[in-house]
Amino acid sequence: MIKINETAWAAMVAHAEAAYPNECCGAMIGQTTIGTIDGDVKSVTIAEALENAYAGAQGARYELRPEDLLAADKKARAAGLDLIGIFHSHPDCDAYFSKTDLENSCPWYSFVVLSVKGGKFDHANSFLPNAEQTVAEKEELIWPKS
Amino acid sequence: MAKVLIPTPLRQFTEKNDSVELAGATVAEVMAALTQKFPDLRKQLFNDEGKMRSFVNVYLNDEDIRYLQKDATAVAAGDTLSIVPSIAGGAAVREVERTLPVRPAGGV
Repeated sequence: MIKINETAWAAMVAHAEAAYPNECCGAMIGQTTIGTIDGDVKSVTIAEALENAYAGAQGARYELRPEDLLAADKKARAAGLDLIGIFHSHPDCDAYFSKTDLENSCPWYSFVVLSVKGGKFDHANSFLPNAEQTVAEKEELIWPKS
Repeated sequence: MAKVLIPTPLRQFTEKNDSVELAGATVAEVMAALTQKFPDLRKQLFNDEGKMRSFVNVYLNDEDIRYLQKDATAVAAGDTLSIVPSIAGGAAVREVERTLPVRPAGGV
């Protein structure tokens, strides 16, 4: 399960809506509590908006610079927190994990997809891809007011 | 000894250490020492053919080793290695819809 607090969620939605009609991306920072009654719970307290570095049209593509991810990881470590997930948006499209998402994913993090329709946030889902980049399992996602 | 920073999700394979000090003269030697010390980490970083997984990047201090001498890059005492994934994606559905031919009604 991944839970996103109000501050982080507001930053994610604002980034997704500001990037519309393009895709946005960013890093989620927080802590993981192992073995609660709900299993492992990832709590996101900071959302770091990162630049979409995809070189072509960004309406349906995004790319994170590894350097930016490294900087986000350093920021998390400095705060005594962890980099626990990646988020990106799907403008005018549902929050599913596409073939492109899967083929360019990494199994170490939660991937939150935000659907933005007509410039406004619509819904979101979280996914856990496997190491072979062939399957992504849906993960329970809790955001404020959901 | 060089320091390897371990991403959070991989710490379950490194006895919860967030960094590990290892000996090695090159990136390849340090990475080999890492997976020798923590064998369960191997399949996270390398595929069945022993090649580093496509999404795994290694940075020496703040430089991507692909722009240095790749895994033959020399490592000095006090250097820091970071494991950073490549991540991209996108809905990509609208582009597909635009390029797919429209099937005529009635079939073949």
